[in-house]
Amino acid sequence: MTTSHEGPRLRQQSQDDPRVMLDIDAGAFEPVPPYPPRTEREAEFYTLGDGEMFLNMGPQHPSTHGVLRIVLKLNGEQVVDLDPVLGYLHRGVEKISENSDYHHIVNQLDPLEYVSALFNEWAYVMAGEKLLDLQVPRRAEYIRVLSSELLRISSHCLFMGWFALDLGGLTPVLWSFIERDEIVEMLGALTGARMLFNYFRFGGVNGDLNHEFMSRLGSWMSRAASHVEANTGLLNENEIFVRRSRGLGVVDRETALRMCMTGPNLRATGVPFDVRRAHPYSVYPELDFDIPTRSEGDSLARYLLRVDEIRQSLRIIDQCLHQMPDGPVMAKIPRKITPRPGRAYAAVESPRGQYAIYMMSDGTDQPFRLRIHDPSFLHLQSVGLLMPGNLVADTMAVMASLDPVMGGVDK
Amino acid sequence: MTTVSRAWSRLTLPGKLIFTLIPLLAALTVGLLVALLLIGPFVWTFLTDNLPLVRFVIAATAVLLMSIPTAFIIIYMEMKIIAQMNLRIGPDRVGPYGSLLSVVHGLKVLVKEDFTPTGADTPVFTLAPVVVYLGAVMSLMVIPFAPGLFGQDFNIGLLYFFAVGGLSVVGLMMAGWSSYNKYSLLGGLRSAAQVISYEIPLTLSVVGLLMLAGTMSLNTIVLNQSGSILDWYIFRQPLGFLIFFIAATAEANRTPFDLTEADSEIVAGFATEYSGMRFGFFFFAEYVGVFIVSAMTVTLFLGGWNAPFDWPWPITVNPDPGSLGILLLILIGVVPVLSTLAFAAPFWLLRSNMPGWQALIIGFVISNLVAVAAVLGWAFISFDWVVGLLWFMLKTYAFVFTFVWMRGTLPRVRIDQLMGFAWKWLLPASLLNLFVTAGALIVLNR
Repeated sequence: MTTSHEGPRLRQQSQDDPRVMLDIDAGAFEPVPPYPPRTEREAEFYTLGDGEMFLNMGPQHPSTHGVLRIVLKLNGEQVVDLDPVLGYLHRGVEKISENSDYHHIVNQLDPLEYVSALFNEWAYVMAGEKLLDLQVPRRAEYIRVLSSELLRISSHCLFMGWFALDLGGLTPVLWSFIERDEIVEMLGALTGARMLFNYFRFGGVNGDLNHEFMSRLGSWMSRAASHVEANTGLLNENEIFVRRSRGLGVVDRETALRMCMTGPNLRATGVPFDVRRAHPYSVYPELDFDIPTRSEGDSLARYLLRVDEIRQSLRIIDQCLHQMPDGPVMAKIPRKITPRPGRAYAAVESPRGQYAIYMMSDGTDQPFRLRIHDPSFLHLQSVGLLMPGNLVADTMAVMASLDPVMGGVDK
Repeated sequence: MTTVSRAWSRLTLPGKLIFTLIPLLAALTVGLLVALLLIGPFVWTFLTDNLPLVRFVIAATAVLLMSIPTAFIIIYMEMKIIAQMNLRIGPDRVGPYGSLLSVVHGLKVLVKEDFTPTGADTPVFTLAPVVVYLGAVMSLMVIPFAPGLFGQDFNIGLLYFFAVGGLSVVGLMMAGWSSYNKYSLLGGLRSAAQVISYEIPLTLSVVGLLMLAGTMSLNTIVLNQSGSILDWYIFRQPLGFLIFFIAATAEANRTPFDLTEADSEIVAGFATEYSGMRFGFFFFAEYVGVFIVSAMTVTLFLGGWNAPFDWPWPITVNPDPGSLGILLLILIGVVPVLSTLAFAAPFWLLRSNMPGWQALIIGFVISNLVAVAAVLGWAFISFDWVVGLLWFMLKTYAFVFTFVWMRGTLPRVRIDQLMGFAWKWLLPASLLNLFVTAGALIVLNR
């Protein structure tokens, strides 16, 4: 249980079965690392004050958003300090991409933020297009925006359900998963896969819109607004929900900017920063949508902001459908992609924040370095600032309101 | 002797079992019969002299045995109703419409591995589920299910209910402490704080009703509410009802106050280290607690077994089978066959591919169901306690449905909000209720 490189200390024979030697620390697991503290912060965290205890919300837990380990230092029920331990889902995506062709990497970047996979591909593909000096056809850009905004709605629906589930409500998850299922089926008809799409390519997208996608989209759009209102109506007016999330995990502007928060977490503190407007890409300059902003900075603001974003995404989808130009969906690219040597940085506005790829190519058909800049990773750094002073029950609520996806955090 | 031992060693294990157990059982039976014959009369006189004791034993056994099917029914109800609220189906494989799933869960829980975690305080760990379950089941003794159908009629019945309800707190704390696990500790402490905080508004909200009724005996309280629906105490103590309902939800550890078992935060709270039948006890105790709290609400505020309306027309059925004479014998022989054929005929005629024996089986089952329904209807009309029991169960399960509804819809309250609510809102409200009732009684000179 304690991760010690000497191995467990076997001292005691088990009472039940004399063939088994028990770890002497069995039952006395303390989430303290077996080496002396390496940094000041570790030393400060792993010394217990008076009346404090460690609680380990381990990698297997019903409501950490994936495999995340949080070591809480509690004083009774109040959280004094918090240490997230990452890396349980580390797959070495950046290293693997260094040995893969540029085509393959699109598929490898999907499982990062698996909830909203197209944004991962989009940043990468944009970075590649900068290095290849490619012009993406307008129809392809519109299809990219359309599918991505659909996925943004789906991701925010998942967030709504998960936030309510971490607060104890069992029903909103299932209702918002109906929305998510319909969108994911739509995108499955378009791209061929329901969750890890592998759809974007350098110079466009993999396939044009087809009849099944358009019919599903049409029938869903006619119900979408009312479904969203119904789902949020269950929670917005709910006294218990509002009382638990108002004033919880308040982030002020300076802290948010200092901790590099982006996306809805930043916009809930009053900073109207959206990558689609600040550093416009694709065809967003031609589309008309607002950037919802709230100024309270608490969990309720983050929740309501994401609901507003769903409505804005519906507007964008509407405009895309009306303004969809004709044309090819893919530019002409060679089979073997060798971008010019150089570096490119491309950022998109994913449902979690600013997601970016920093690509360094050396002229061969495998990138030299692919640095993935993931918003959830940075949001988790700020969790240690938000949590102290709250109770254990709020830990999960704050975590859920920041909407991290562990695939992106651990890469 | 060697013949015997050689024959014995040639037997297999089942054979050995048969040759030892059957003579043993036969000897025990004979011995029991002899003992009965010898001491039988003394036991009989003892029992007939102490009828209340016999009644108590029967009532206690009945209550213990009844609690488990009740828990099964409520578990199934909860799974199905929450599923429908979640736009799912819920269990539908195990029995007809999945109704046997709770039974299967009960059996599963019996055959699971039963272990004690290392470092746990074993006697306390083992006794905690027992204490919790007893605290739940003992309250069933005083609830009047129907006129004449109750365990015991204490004249401090209500006080007994609150006292026994507090017993489960001890069990929860025992479970939380003895598990040697910080999650369980947190869960146990939370639950202790919660139950203790909500016991006070729970008790105080009923004091107004006690002043109106003048007695703590639950049977008398229900009898006071007989008459018409307007005699029910909910109309005379609406605030008391509301406070009682909310505080009882917290006492039963139900959503929105279920943070002792908040499975999104502290995995399973105090029951994290429990498995097998020990966890089964906690599980059943919770659902029996839901039943008890609903039953208590119904008893105190909604008239118990009183019907809300009377049948608008008088119905009497006085069958007199003896007057039929020999016709009775003929009817007993002929009616089942005729009804089977009568109910089978439509199925056989209208479905051309149904074999005759299948139609006969269906007819037999339907005629049995009709007979059972007829007997139930006759019992409903003739016996007071059947009507009372039916109304009591209807009202109680309506409240159980409300609890399940709240679980499916509402999120969970935080521990400090929960305590704040109890001490800052429910307690003053129940005191207000108390003062207003007392003042009204003085003014109206009752």
